[in-house]
Amino acid sequence: MKKIIFSMATLLLLAAVFAFTAVQAWQITDKYSINFTSDDASGIFKTFTGNIVFDEKNLGASAFDVNIDAASINTGNGLQNKHAKSDEWFDVAKYPSIKFVSSKIVQSGTGYQASGTLQLHGVSKEITIPFTVQKSGMGLTFTGSFSVNRNDYHIGKPGGDVGEVIKIDLSVPVVKK
Amino acid sequence: MLKKSLLLGLVAGVLAGLASFIYQKVYTGALEADFSKVFSPVAVFASCLVGCLLASVGYWLLDKWMNGRADLVFNLLFAILSFVTILGPFAAKLPVSIESPELFPGLTVPMHFFPVLGWLTLKPAFIKK
Repeated sequence: MKKIIFSMATLLLLAAVFAFTAVQAWQITDKYSINFTSDDASGIFKTFTGNIVFDEKNLGASAFDVNIDAASINTGNGLQNKHAKSDEWFDVAKYPSIKFVSSKIVQSGTGYQASGTLQLHGVSKEITIPFTVQKSGMGLTFTGSFSVNRNDYHIGKPGGDVGEVIKIDLSVPVVKK
Repeated sequence: MLKKSLLLGLVAGVLAGLASFIYQKVYTGALEADFSKVFSPVAVFASCLVGCLLASVGYWLLDKWMNGRADLVFNLLFAILSFVTILGPFAAKLPVSIESPELFPGLTVPMHFFPVLGWLTLKPAFIKK
């Protein structure tokens, strides 16, 4: 009898611990937009995938592990697309993915900040992405904006017509998994 | 002369517009590249018509100023101008919502030659010297 009570108690304890630590996983919908702008070039990345785990009440267990297909770049001009995919710029044959893996998410004012590693063009750097979260029905929409210096990632030649600082605007609607 | 030239421009423009419309249908069907958001058949038709009518006015002016050499100069000018205009489709920046912008020049570049083709092909039927 004691064994049964002990087993039940252990199960209850495990369930309680799991319920406390379980964080909602989210599915990225196809309504996302990943836009980039600089002085001379602008466009979008069409393919964005990844795992998003987020709970505003449990930021310690929240995490982003997302991936952009570098070859899905679209500037609106065929020649520019070809140029952007070439070894002078994104070199998509060698570096097909742009990855961001968060290491910490914290609250910042009315929004949040995700710190983590951005892997781009074979270079990994720590960055912080400020973002906000809006609730919409059963889902959420993550909206963020940040800038990267393309020279830090050895993309293109320094100077030239294309600005060195590229602004990236993200809007990622998600639904519960 | 101006009347005949304008009539030539009108007929050549309509035929070039029709050829462009057919080519657009064939191209879109074959490659599943939809550029209808930036490229309406009406706009293509109007461009062909305006292009051919302007060519007719240009020919009439050249014929008045350059007796004897007007045909050679006009044909060269029309062909060169048609070639120069193909830079437009290559440099065009389409809305990013449009898939495969690299297929855009393949659709539009041939159309830039339909007016000159139509105009020069039909010219002997309208203007006899």
